[in-house]
Amino acid sequence: MSDSVVIPQSPVGVQQPEADRIVRRPSVLLLLLREPSACVALMTVVTILLAALFAPWLAPGDPYGGDLALTLQPPGELALLGTDGQGRDMITRLLYGLRTTLMIGFAAVFIGCGIGAVIGFAAAYYSRLSGLLMRLMDVLLSFPAILFGLAIAAIFGPGLTAVIIALSIATVPLMARVVRGAAIVVMQQDYIEGARALGMSDRRLILKHLLPNCLSAIFVFVTLRFGQVILLGAALSFIGLGAQPPTAELGAMAADGRNFLFFAPHVSVLPSLLIFIIVLAFNVLGDALRDALDPKLNK
Amino acid sequence: MLRHTLERLLLAVPVLFGVLLLGFFLMQVVPTDPAIVRAGPTASMEVIEAIRQELGLNEPLWKQFFIYMGRLLQGDLGVSIINNVPVTQELGATIGPTLELMLASLIWAIPLGIVMGTVGAYYRGTFLDRIIMAASVAGVSIPVFFLGLILIWFLGFQYQILPFTGRPGPIWTWEGFKAVIMPAITLGGVFVGPVARMTRSSVLDVLGADHVRTARAKGLPERTVVTRHALRNALVPVVTLIGLQIGFLLGGAVVTETVFSWPGIGRLAVGAILSSDLPMAQGTIIVLSLGFILVNLAVDVLYAVLDPRVRGA
Repeated sequence: MSDSVVIPQSPVGVQQPEADRIVRRPSVLLLLLREPSACVALMTVVTILLAALFAPWLAPGDPYGGDLALTLQPPGELALLGTDGQGRDMITRLLYGLRTTLMIGFAAVFIGCGIGAVIGFAAAYYSRLSGLLMRLMDVLLSFPAILFGLAIAAIFGPGLTAVIIALSIATVPLMARVVRGAAIVVMQQDYIEGARALGMSDRRLILKHLLPNCLSAIFVFVTLRFGQVILLGAALSFIGLGAQPPTAELGAMAADGRNFLFFAPHVSVLPSLLIFIIVLAFNVLGDALRDALDPKLNK
Repeated sequence: MLRHTLERLLLAVPVLFGVLLLGFFLMQVVPTDPAIVRAGPTASMEVIEAIRQELGLNEPLWKQFFIYMGRLLQGDLGVSIINNVPVTQELGATIGPTLELMLASLIWAIPLGIVMGTVGAYYRGTFLDRIIMAASVAGVSIPVFFLGLILIWFLGFQYQILPFTGRPGPIWTWEGFKAVIMPAITLGGVFVGPVARMTRSSVLDVLGADHVRTARAKGLPERTVVTRHALRNALVPVVTLIGLQIGFLLGGAVVTETVFSWPGIGRLAVGAILSSDLPMAQGTIIVLSLGFILVNLAVDVLYAVLDPRVRGA
């Protein structure tokens, strides 16, 4: 593709003057891959997802059965990344831990963003509901995720369910705001007016016209939020409110390794490092996506 | 101005009520009977019944709520079921250390973040900007406990420069000062990134504004333009966002306190939940929520003071 490609300066979905309309906007993926850091981040994310997906096939050992004669082995010939306090292979634990950690992230983002999207669209579409809904979201927003984590863990007891519920609740108001913001811009476009004039039902209008045109904003938010949720989930597990032993979860593994920090630092450092890499990859990717999807910045 | 403040105060009332209601239901939802827990495993039915009477557990739910509210208003949050110490006493002992830790973190993290953001915005697109932004992204991506563990390993264990567990005394004593350094670096470390990013985008907006061009056209030195005309205006949204990020900071404080065995309210809350000490858990959660409501209120009012345009709205 030559450099002469003109990128439309107005937001996606806005009617272009006749002359500009025929010039095609380069695909988002292409814009994304121009940035080397985004390339690396994308590859990291794909690798991590594949590793988590195929953990049972990739793992050389058993995540829950260790050899007590071989505890706290440093990384080396015996075990490539060493063993933990109960003689379990670190590579295996990390792969399974990755699964649990990502599962928490997916569940919380899926539930939280789903509910948040419904509220956001409702607030944008039905102006009468808007005040009440958004006030409610402001209230939720004023409490940090960790406080929800504490409260939910106090009610249901510490565990994965508590973490997922807490992080879902913390995600709802953020998503609702993002969706409402994006939807309000789209609502002002002529084609919405047109669809309405044609007598389209509310439901169809929201699903057919509103949702697809808000997708880029949603996509950026979900990517960035996924990283944050992973970080929060790992933190909650680290302090003991999340995944319980012997469950392999990166935050809980890092906490477990704290006891051997001075003579077997790898037990704590490896899972922490993995969390850092995952979150970093999602953050870099999310930032790059935002830049690629926001034509205003592509000057 | 006064009207804005009063409005915000009025809005905080239902939220406060909601938090207290939630705290009340926290005790209802949990399957354990507080009377049995209080009485101990060997108590007879009569003793348990007497405690039920004393705690008002046989009353209808709405009446129990009034009893609970009445107690709260008198500053009575109950007694820990683990060590029989009044919850308020434990809270009083831990709030100080937590505030100390948060202040010690903010005092270096905010100025550093603002300087990094301003420099990044001014030298936008250069290598320096990219380095600063990369550091900020790394800062928002690193798990708090990872940063803490790295510091403990290097400064605490390898070079043995600083202590890394507990709080031997208040911050103004030499021992206390040394003890707060590592937790404060850890907690502040994850705060620099967000502040730098917010400052950078805010300063970028302002640098393109008309009044900055005018200031330059007047021939003012570049230094004055940036510090007086750009930064001062850019800081209004940054101050608000920093205020709203206090919640984020407290989340980090809970983890930091756990890593460094810092005797703060976050560690108290986590310990209470892990040991099923419900009155203590309830008390810490109510007090923490109250803290957020107050911080948000303060930020709202501060925003109006800083930005006259908000007052009318």
